[in-house]
Amino acid sequence: MKQLLSFSGIEEERLHSKWISSAEGPEFAEEMRKFVENLRALGPSPLKDVNKGKKAA
Amino acid sequence: MSDKVKDKVKELLSSGKIKGFLGLCSRDGNIAPHLFVTEDELDNLVVGDKSAPGDSRYPLNRQLINLVRAYPDDTFGILVRGCDERGLAALASWNQINPNKIEMVGIACPQELAIACECLKPYPESFVDGEKCEGVTAETVARIDSLKVKERFDLWLNEFSKCIKCYGCRNICPMCFCNECSLENDELIRKGEIPPEIPTFHLTRAVHMAGRCIDCGLCSEACPADIPLRTLYKKVADIIYKQYNFRAGYDAGQKSPLNFLGGLPE
Repeated sequence: MKQLLSFSGIEEERLHSKWISSAEGPEFAEEMRKFVENLRALGPSPLKDVNKGKKAA
Repeated sequence: MSDKVKDKVKELLSSGKIKGFLGLCSRDGNIAPHLFVTEDELDNLVVGDKSAPGDSRYPLNRQLINLVRAYPDDTFGILVRGCDERGLAALASWNQINPNKIEMVGIACPQELAIACECLKPYPESFVDGEKCEGVTAETVARIDSLKVKERFDLWLNEFSKCIKCYGCRNICPMCFCNECSLENDELIRKGEIPPEIPTFHLTRAVHMAGRCIDCGLCSEACPADIPLRTLYKKVADIIYKQYNFRAGYDAGQKSPLNFLGGLPE
């Protein structure tokens, strides 16, 4: 999926997957903190305005 | 190129080995799919080279699925190029057809067509006409790979913006056999928008082509907006090959690594 995103011109860092057990709350929180940090560094998605203001056909 | 094919089909029909032969027929200057059931019809049989090799191909495999479902006890013959043979192997691996009830009559594509298709294997395992030519790797994929991420984004944004959501790519695809299609699911892709949501529509289809696309290129031929869909699906096939060492249809009997319902591959 990351490779397909990258080929389509979307930074693959925008997708992150990791297996975390439901018993590992702190790990999940830490992972999400890091992910959000990375996303902030990347800035807004190039797709942000692509589908805006489209009228129904 | 059709004489040897005709001879082979004549033999299959006269021996009673097949009930009918699904091929292409030329009539009034047009080439269309046709089910040949008698030998005297064979005069009109063609292999789909109207003004250039392979310029009049049809998704015969799609019609074959309907045919074998309607007549499950009969054996049918079918005209195949390398891609069609891969399609049949893949369809069998997804339990859509019974390969024992299908008799393939193969033709090898000329180099010219193999280059245009960037086809890795432009010939079936056995063929009655044509000559085996070299497989061709996908320059189109390599070219996009070499671009910067922003350039790739702009390229696909430009391509996907042309989409008129005609579903032609899906409708012609010989590997699209689902009864319900995600592309028509309002929860996934909103209805009534043209172009369909970018890049969701095309990437959804691309993901579904993973481990399934046999690279026949009919999608690109059908697309009225000339979106290079084949290039996108070639990339997806390359990813699956890199990750799982699997290419759909190249190894008869081998299931896609994504085909969990049929059990994991050995």
